[in-house]
Amino acid sequence: MTSTKLYTVIYVVLFGFATAQVALEFMGLSYAVAVAGILLLSVIKAVLVAGYYQHLLYEPRSVTYVMISGLLTAIALTFAASYSIT
Amino acid sequence: MTEDQPRDDHEAQPDGGHTHRSLTEGATTTSTLREFFTRDHLPPMESVQRWLLTTNHKDVGILYLVTSLFFLVFGGVLALLMRIELLTPVNSVLSATGYNQTVSIHGLIMIFWFLSPFAFGFANYVVPLQIGAKDLAFPRLNALSYWLYLFSGVLLGISFFQGGSFEGGWTMYAPLNVPSYMPNIGSTTTVLALLLFVISVTMSSVNFLTTLHRMRAKGLTLLRMPLFTWSILLTVWMMLFAFAALLAALLILSSDRILGTTYFTAEGTPGSLLWTHLFWFFGHPEVYIVFFPALGAMAETFQTFTGRRLVGRKWFILAMLLVALQSFLVWMHHMFLTSINLEIKTLFMATTIGISLPFDLMVFSLIYTMVKGRIRFTTPFLFTFGGLLVFIIGGITGVFLGAVVLDYQLRGTYWVVAHFHYVMVAGVTALIGALFYWYPKITGRMYNRRLGKATFGLFFVGFNLLYFPMFIAWETPRRVFDYPAGLTPWHQLATIGGFMLGVAFLLVIWNCYWSLWHGEKVEGNPWEYATTAEWAVPSPPPLENFPGVPSYDSGSLDFLDETPEASTDGGTAVAGDQTHESGDHHDSHASPWPFFIGVAALVFFLGLSGISTGGIYPALTIVGVVFGAVSLLGFGMESFSVTEPELGERWPFEGIENGKLGVWIFLASDVVLFGAFIGSYVFLRVGYGWTDWQLVPHDPIPGLINTYILLTSSFCIVLALVAAEKNSRWGLIAGLSTTLLLGVGFLVNKGIEWVELFHEGIWLSSNVQASTFFLTTGLHALHVILGLLILLFLIPRAINGAYLDDERPVEYFGLYWHFVDIVWLFLFPLFYII
Repeated sequence: MTSTKLYTVIYVVLFGFATAQVALEFMGLSYAVAVAGILLLSVIKAVLVAGYYQHLLYEPRSVTYVMISGLLTAIALTFAASYSIT
Repeated sequence: MTEDQPRDDHEAQPDGGHTHRSLTEGATTTSTLREFFTRDHLPPMESVQRWLLTTNHKDVGILYLVTSLFFLVFGGVLALLMRIELLTPVNSVLSATGYNQTVSIHGLIMIFWFLSPFAFGFANYVVPLQIGAKDLAFPRLNALSYWLYLFSGVLLGISFFQGGSFEGGWTMYAPLNVPSYMPNIGSTTTVLALLLFVISVTMSSVNFLTTLHRMRAKGLTLLRMPLFTWSILLTVWMMLFAFAALLAALLILSSDRILGTTYFTAEGTPGSLLWTHLFWFFGHPEVYIVFFPALGAMAETFQTFTGRRLVGRKWFILAMLLVALQSFLVWMHHMFLTSINLEIKTLFMATTIGISLPFDLMVFSLIYTMVKGRIRFTTPFLFTFGGLLVFIIGGITGVFLGAVVLDYQLRGTYWVVAHFHYVMVAGVTALIGALFYWYPKITGRMYNRRLGKATFGLFFVGFNLLYFPMFIAWETPRRVFDYPAGLTPWHQLATIGGFMLGVAFLLVIWNCYWSLWHGEKVEGNPWEYATTAEWAVPSPPPLENFPGVPSYDSGSLDFLDETPEASTDGGTAVAGDQTHESGDHHDSHASPWPFFIGVAALVFFLGLSGISTGGIYPALTIVGVVFGAVSLLGFGMESFSVTEPELGERWPFEGIENGKLGVWIFLASDVVLFGAFIGSYVFLRVGYGWTDWQLVPHDPIPGLINTYILLTSSFCIVLALVAAEKNSRWGLIAGLSTTLLLGVGFLVNKGIEWVELFHEGIWLSSNVQASTFFLTTGLHALHVILGLLILLFLIPRAINGAYLDDERPVEYFGLYWHFVDIVWLFLFPLFYII
């Protein structure tokens, strides 16, 4: 189990990244770059919450694989279905 | 039935909270009720109460078997109605809508309410015995799964009395499934019944996965697991993910029908295509979900009745594993006649042909096992062998449908009907074999052998007479009651076969019923070459299955002395002084709450079906909510002791307890649920034109504020857990309470935002953008509300000093709450920024 200090640092980072996502929208970047940046920040935030707040880093790795399986299932559906559109 | 095992499992209730030993002979109604609610003992099998209260896996298995056989008769009668109508090539008996309902509900019942639950009757009864467990990991959840299944079936039955049931086929294709085309309440009830069924299935999946991965006997590694159990393990993994996609589809459809969202009538990219993606993403794995248990039963019976270990056993397991994975990569072969592009059709044709290869391996493995062994033509073997034969025909005819060009010709004809019945009813045939195989185990009596073999003859001839003519008359259009007159003789033959098959099913049920009283008694194992653990205990087995702790460490099955470690099944934590002398400890086996929650769910969903029409429906909804809340509270407050074995094989989930693994597995299915919602949004937006899509909220700031709120609440729940670990009662209470307040704040902020949008005239039905925004963020808000309700349960208990010695409930809640937070981290940019 990690310390309260670490949890606090992560909280501050999460808070900052959320603000940065909105800031990116108004920075005048191209749409594709802004979208990529915003989604990347979401992914980092999700990994931080899952890894530390949910202690996934300290659980058996197989639990992570179960969650990744669910994620891949959803991604497969989303991308294949969207690609199928004529 | 002879189960007279010790029922005094609560002679000395260990938790100190709810023991009522003051009951005397001639108890009053009050004391009887008290006894019912505090389940001092599990009543005998002859008592109706026993079946309402039981959480024991064997009882639940029997309940599943009996209920599913009832639904077999229900679905079978509908099938025979169809066959009577099809005796002539023109409409003669049923009305047009009557025929549509018959076709639709026959399909829904047979696939959802008969076939899978029939298989899970065996899974419930046999799997814990085969892996050396006393019960499933969460016995009350198992009972709850059963009751939700039963009441979902009752709800489906009620739909016929609400202006007619669903008419759009078992695939429920859009846009036929929306109120514009199917306005009656009964159609909505059918959708909600299926939704309730899916909730039951999700609970079962979590329960079986935790059990199979965490409660195997020492030495029983995954590779050593019996093949039936293997088939169930892979089935439940598929169920976990596939049914989550169906849950998403059904929630959206329910919303389209009740709230007026416009997903499946969306223009631009057809909403109907979205339905087919969601449905078949579930639907193809579902084929294997219903067939795998039959395959496992084939493997078990082939081994037992050839006296030989399955040839290529490891390859057989590997092939099943491959099929389970590939099953999620073939769904678009059901969509070759839709507007999807040719490239993806070609890709899915290849994956579809690919999935037949592991099946070839399994079929040859079964055939070689027969060749290498010496076959005993018992009734169970005849049925499972018959199942294999017809499955081979079903499999080969399916390959035709997997080819794009052939599918253009065959889709929508009776070729498809014949093919999938040769596959699905092959599974039924093998499971009837399983029924005869495990009948002596379950009842302690042997079925009537002569009648069993004669029934097989009638069954097999009836089956082929029913379905084979459909291949010949393949040009018959599906789903409608008129067809070219030249095909009449084939349809008349099929109807004769249908009645023969119907009689055969009734004879199977009669044999089981008659043999309960007149069958030859069986002491233990009636099969000479059965090697799995269920046959190492008496028939029927004692309440807690084994005379000690099963272990395979020595290379064969031994029973060691018990050293229990008590835990809970989501109920009240058990006091620390409950350890008894070795052999004196008993788990709980009865709870009234699963039944009550089931009743509440029935009332709630029935109310929901017609809530927009007024009348009695809103009242029913409220009654369902109140009764459900009380029942859930009772469930949560109840002391329920479950032993988590100290020894055992737990790969790959060592180092994590059952409860936590259960939560994680549930969250994995929730990932797919939200994934399917987000996927639907992305699909519709891509079809609409990604950058042409107008975001519904005008301003990202309310969303940003809610992001801050949720992140802070996540941080607070982490602090609450830290406080609990440090034995700080007030720290724990402060953490939980702040989380509660922040959760309320999130909802208030969202409420203000929504009300403003409503004032601007933006409603759920305004357009597809509004529909996706309100429904997806609404589903998330529903998760927040559920979390707050859990907090309302946890906080008073924390105030009373709970969770300091055992902080696991706070940790499990935290896992859920953080997940809700993570989902928002994606919803926020998708719906507010980009």
